[in-house]
Amino acid sequence: MTRLARRTLIAGAAALIAAPALLRAAEPIRLGLTPVFLDNDAEAVGRLRAALGSGSGRAIELVQRRTYQEVTGLLLEGAVDAAWLCGFPFLQHEPALALLGVPVWRGAPLYQSYLIVGRDDPAAALPDLQGGTHAFSDPDSNSGWLITASDLARIGVRPETFFQRTLFAYGHRNVVRAVAGGLTRSGSVDGYVWEALAGVEPELTAQTRVIGRSERLGFPPFVCRRERKEDAAVTALAGALLGLSGTDEGRAALALLQLDGVVPGEPSLFDGIRARMRDVQAG
Amino acid sequence: MGAGAALRGLPLSVRVPLIAAGLMVLVGVVASRQVLTSLDTVQEERLRELARLHVDGLAVALGPSVLRRDVWEVYDTLDRATTALAGQRMVLTVVADEAGRVIAASDPRRAPVDSDLAPLLQDAQRVDEIRLSGGAQHVNVRAGLDYQGRAVGQIVSELDVSDLVAERRRAGLYLLAGNALATLVLACGGYLAVRRMLRPVSLLAGHMARTEGVPVAIAAADLPQGDTELARLFQTYNAMTGAVEARAEAERRLAERERFVSLGRLSSSLAHEINNPLGGLLNATDTIRSYADRPEVVREAADLLDRGLRHLRDISRATLEQNRLDRHGMALTPEDFDDLRLLFAPEVSRLGQALDWQVTAPAPALAGFPAAPPRQIALNLLLNASAAAGAGGRVGLSVQADAGGLALVIRDSGPGLPEPARLRLMTDAPLQPGGGVGLRLVRDLVAAARGRVEYARREGMSEITVHLPARGAPC
Repeated sequence: MTRLARRTLIAGAAALIAAPALLRAAEPIRLGLTPVFLDNDAEAVGRLRAALGSGSGRAIELVQRRTYQEVTGLLLEGAVDAAWLCGFPFLQHEPALALLGVPVWRGAPLYQSYLIVGRDDPAAALPDLQGGTHAFSDPDSNSGWLITASDLARIGVRPETFFQRTLFAYGHRNVVRAVAGGLTRSGSVDGYVWEALAGVEPELTAQTRVIGRSERLGFPPFVCRRERKEDAAVTALAGALLGLSGTDEGRAALALLQLDGVVPGEPSLFDGIRARMRDVQAG
Repeated sequence: MGAGAALRGLPLSVRVPLIAAGLMVLVGVVASRQVLTSLDTVQEERLRELARLHVDGLAVALGPSVLRRDVWEVYDTLDRATTALAGQRMVLTVVADEAGRVIAASDPRRAPVDSDLAPLLQDAQRVDEIRLSGGAQHVNVRAGLDYQGRAVGQIVSELDVSDLVAERRRAGLYLLAGNALATLVLACGGYLAVRRMLRPVSLLAGHMARTEGVPVAIAAADLPQGDTELARLFQTYNAMTGAVEARAEAERRLAERERFVSLGRLSSSLAHEINNPLGGLLNATDTIRSYADRPEVVREAADLLDRGLRHLRDISRATLEQNRLDRHGMALTPEDFDDLRLLFAPEVSRLGQALDWQVTAPAPALAGFPAAPPRQIALNLLLNASAAAGAGGRVGLSVQADAGGLALVIRDSGPGLPEPARLRLMTDAPLQPGGGVGLRLVRDLVAAARGRVEYARREGMSEITVHLPARGAPC
């Protein structure tokens, strides 16, 4: 009886000691998502979550918000473990953030910003769009704001004065919709998103025409807070991300996202964006 | 007026169904109008309800975005609403701020951002006052946009009502076709029913038209069954034909009797005419007996006998001729007038009257007429003239032929034709009792020969002229 009681007590104590680790292991990894082109594709989001869950051995909770700022805020305050951000907010908060991986698109972790107009618009380049209406994706988007803003800064003007009216559509697909529907004359959009849309919604992109492409810049990376880079959840997630192309499930998710895989990446990959940021600040 | 006259000219069996069909068309038009008006009301109510739901739904969704003047959010909401309602009623929705400046439209090309809403407001109706007018395929609706208790903007929507217009047109066509068919069926049914109902009337009308003044009774087998108005009408008609027949028979008998009456009036004179020579003739027979041995005396007496007997023979023949019943078809000759003179002369002589007898019409001209009617006409009028002229008066007859036919003129020196006699001779007025039928018989005979009678007073003489047209001559 005493022995039994002691044994029970020891077992109970052991269970109590082990409980936090078990509980922690049961908590999902929370990954913030910026409104990339597939934010409206429930299947792609679901496949990504499943593939990352399998790769990390943990449940994955995807957290979506309307703006880049909100997702960045969630990451900085610790409400999410990691986030798929744009290079521009990554650089804005570079001291606090660390790279987990950079997606590879068409063979390289690089992409471009596109300047688009309506299909029948005669404009051939950015200067032709002066006085028109223009759609940006997000004030914290590299391809959806920074590129055009820096292009204008290089000729000494600001978007608010160069265009008659600008608006933020909070989503690259929304920028394409705004231009295709005639709400604005032109728009700044993620080249990867536009090309991906051309595959899945050709009738939408067919109503737009690309009149400008930026240089190739660092693809929007997966990032985490620098001090949490070694957390088990984060390392598990990083492993899952980098191993996506190694599993069928991962490849299926990548196929839906029209990506080749995820590589570790280096901060220097985003030097082009960094240069753009300087141009805007100088302007 | 012309149509009414044309309608009145149609037979009853066509006119009544036509009127019934016309009434059916009128009822159909009124009923169709009512149905279309009701359909309009229902459609407008439906459209108002839809527009209200549409606008209210958008107002709830758009309120915060309009308050912030968030162009993208307003457009996004409208665009998603358009996509979600693709193929439905909304064609265009424009949202503007309270100053009337467009924030966004579902089709920004038609209503660009920052443009003026006023042109779109021009023909826009308020939600509660929506009317479907004419064949317009689209209706513009306007509504205020309230958020948190204050007006923050306006919504103008262009709604596709082509389905409602098509429904109305379809309903109109169905009504038209249905009414046309129903009217056709009812008009045909009405035509057949009324035609069946009016068949006895047609039969009656046919009988009356066929008989040309001499009605013939309808056979019992053709009489409508039962105690209906038509059956009574037929019975009345048959009774009337009986009465007409009886009257005609009576008139025929009267006319027949009149021939004897006219002779009867001459009987006294004729008796004298026969009696007067008898004394001379008897004397001649005595003479023959007394002087049988004297041939010259006998011959003279025999000649006297011969003349007297010939005269009696002529009188008898003329009397018989006047009474012959089988003279139908015999042509008029000058001898007929000689007979008349033979019959009439004793009466003139008895009354001491002067007779002026002029028959100038040649035999060929007379041959174109049947003998009996002119003889009877002339005799009746001469007897009438003789009676009117009185003792010592003057009476005359002249018979002339011309291109138009024969003219018998009878004159007398009497005081003129009294009114009752003139009515009998010149009109169809009913005969007064006791007036005799001699003059009416003249009128009937003249009418049967399609002739005419004229009466005039000339130089103190009454003059009755009877024109009898030659066969084939105009009346």
